[in-house]
Amino acid sequence: MARPAVILLGADKGGVGKTTVSRTLLDYFADRKISTRAFDTEWPKGTLKRFHPEITDVVDVTSVPDQMKIFDTIETSGTQVTLIDVRAGLMSPTLRALRDIGFLDMTKWNQVTFAVFHILGPSIASLDEIAETSKLLVDARYFLVKNFINDTSFFDWDQDTYNSYFNRIPHAVEITVPKLSEMACEQVELASVPFASFIGNKKRNGELAVNSFVLRGYVRHWLQKVWAEYDRVKLCDVISKADPAATAAAAAREIAPAAAASRDAAFAALSATAATPRIFVAKDDAGTRDAAARLQRQEPRVAESS
Amino acid sequence: MGAATIEHPKTRSSVRQEDNNGPAPIYVVCSPSRGVGKTLVARLLTDYCVAGRRAVAAFDLADEGPQLNDYAPNHAKVVDIGDVRSQVRLFDSLVATTDVTKIIDVDRRQFGNFFIIAHKIQLFEEARRQGIEPVLLFLVDPNPKAAKAYATLHDWFPEVTLLPVRNQLVSRDVPRGGDFPHLSRLSVCLEIPLLRPALQAAIDLEGFSFVDLGNNTPRSISGQPQDELRLWFRRIRVQLQALELSLLFEQVMTELGARQEW
Repeated sequence: MARPAVILLGADKGGVGKTTVSRTLLDYFADRKISTRAFDTEWPKGTLKRFHPEITDVVDVTSVPDQMKIFDTIETSGTQVTLIDVRAGLMSPTLRALRDIGFLDMTKWNQVTFAVFHILGPSIASLDEIAETSKLLVDARYFLVKNFINDTSFFDWDQDTYNSYFNRIPHAVEITVPKLSEMACEQVELASVPFASFIGNKKRNGELAVNSFVLRGYVRHWLQKVWAEYDRVKLCDVISKADPAATAAAAAREIAPAAAASRDAAFAALSATAATPRIFVAKDDAGTRDAAARLQRQEPRVAESS
Repeated sequence: MGAATIEHPKTRSSVRQEDNNGPAPIYVVCSPSRGVGKTLVARLLTDYCVAGRRAVAAFDLADEGPQLNDYAPNHAKVVDIGDVRSQVRLFDSLVATTDVTKIIDVDRRQFGNFFIIAHKIQLFEEARRQGIEPVLLFLVDPNPKAAKAYATLHDWFPEVTLLPVRNQLVSRDVPRGGDFPHLSRLSVCLEIPLLRPALQAAIDLEGFSFVDLGNNTPRSISGQPQDELRLWFRRIRVQLQALELSLLFEQVMTELGARQEW
């Protein structure tokens, strides 16, 4: 049985097409019958939820209950993939927080497959962000996505400078999302349906729509190219890795007491006010429950996932 | 299927469609070469449909004259596919209605662009899904570029009827078969016979209509030249009738085959 996968999508700044890439991924997994749920962190309205309302929750990633909703249920939700569309500018802080609560360790211990889709902007700030982000993702799959919206030309400098940054991140994989005609983009936005539904000329309620055949054709052609990129990087293989025997060993691990102390500080960085320390414990994780019990004797509160 | 009244986007009057024989086809008259007779073939097709009281809409992608629009202003209009908006206007209309014969005169300069778009948006597949049969009428000529283009069209659109059309004025020295094999399941040959230069010049005059020949009201020709021209047009008309019948036969066979499977 495949272990659960978490895909985090982030960008340094808004307007680079992060939610568009999220939508292509949701359509990709749906097409391949891979169960997926999504969290849209553009609280309170959401942007991703408009297109995939049945499988998307809008969450406030700075709120502890919503953090629990996402991370406490990764292994128990029944879905294979959890996709988190992180608000622009919050990717590095989110990753640091995940590191501090031990979530990245779950990746190291093969309990969860973790992948990050970093949607690149055209400025040099993006490259700095790549270097910063990559340090946190030693055990995760790191995908650098060049999204060619608005005829973006990536990086105004020479190939050597470009290479010098990417050579520092040997485990990162590039994905290219080609440009889609503005008119087609606009019509899909107006239709407020997944790409696959627009191509199939369907409304949200499943009835036949009256979308332009030409625009549907362009969207189909574009989406096929995007999916070909996901096939090229073997995305299905990445997220479908079977749960190895190491999971049993990982379940008996102890949470280092010293690590627990930093979790509070990590999520406090995301929250408006300091949060009460929370330790996320899967209900069927006996080893961790024992560790949590020990910690409870030291700390006043331990949150147990439902 | 009953008769239908079709409003052509260009004409103010409507052409009444007789009890029809199924969805009307899309004819794409094309060649990457210049001066091979594309517009002539498009005109012949258009006037053939008009003379047979069939609803027809012709689209002229030419940007250098003389253009189809110059000869059939009531049935043809100049269109552009340079941007997505204009592509939506043209291609959406091609698959939206099934009871109007559509004829597209693809200028050599638009040849690549037209078929790249058609390939990208799966135009011909969509047309066939709507029951509309696309037919590519490719004007044969000795230019190696033409042979390459013909092969490419066959590769890109293997399920689409691709018919080589021989304009004797241009393709006399092009061997039959060879670089332009007749791969279509339709057992039809289309050949435009030679015409005397004087008559060729007459039919090239702006506004000349082959419909007028049939109606016995020639504009500029009378007597023996008119008879010669009528004979010439009749030879072509017979071929176009054969083409229509072949398409109809294929449609019936397809439906019978589908029913048998069911």
